[in-house]
Amino acid sequence: MFETLKKHLKRGGGKREEILAPVQGMAVPLSEVNDPAFNQEILGKGMAIIPSKGRIVSPVDGVLSVMFETMHAVSITADNGAEVMIHVGLDTVKLKGEGFHSFKKQGERVKVGELLLEFDLKGIRGKGYDLVTPVIILNTMEYPNMKCHVGKQIMELEPIIEL
Amino acid sequence: MKEYRYVVEDPMGLHARPASIIFIEAGKYMCSIEAYWDLQKADCKSLLAIMGLGAKKGDEVVFRFEGEDEDAAYYAIRSVLDKR
Repeated sequence: MFETLKKHLKRGGGKREEILAPVQGMAVPLSEVNDPAFNQEILGKGMAIIPSKGRIVSPVDGVLSVMFETMHAVSITADNGAEVMIHVGLDTVKLKGEGFHSFKKQGERVKVGELLLEFDLKGIRGKGYDLVTPVIILNTMEYPNMKCHVGKQIMELEPIIEL
Repeated sequence: MKEYRYVVEDPMGLHARPASIIFIEAGKYMCSIEAYWDLQKADCKSLLAIMGLGAKKGDEVVFRFEGEDEDAAYYAIRSVLDKR
């Protein structure tokens, strides 16, 4: 019990931490994502954004803990401990990096709002891919009271998840 | 301690989907399950750690199981990986 209390206090007591939108677009619940890995919350809880702009920025200050070679997904470990994964589109691993550009390397420090990826929104959609971009908290178990803001258009760096 | 040497078959390496399959299975067992590749070590109970290994097609990843239910975990991880 003291452990949880301590953890709570360490996180600044009542004030919740926020994850900001890594991309501009329509915020939707994971249940609307047409892929069981996401809609059944296998990778963790979170939400998704249907992008209206082909750029991904860092949603937190932290370390770029994963940058896939195929550049279709990244994960940032926030300074507060949250592991945030951003997966651009569904099955986009098959593009083998085509249409994606990365601006940071795995292991590098990133600041909130820093450009991580650019992608060819029209080109990738034109190939028939669903570009819905899940934003997942991989260490979901540590945040039982997570709250996601969905059902509206959001701008880059608007708060989307409260931990 | 049990060990399983697995050569990555997925053409895209251990990306989100295969990593999540290992992660889900690993979470069912009490024993420690670690994956080693290229001087790196990943706790298989962390999805981020598995994906962070960056193992690619053809790479040999060594899984080590240690703890009371290591036999069960070994066979479970083997069966999900060999199915792929």
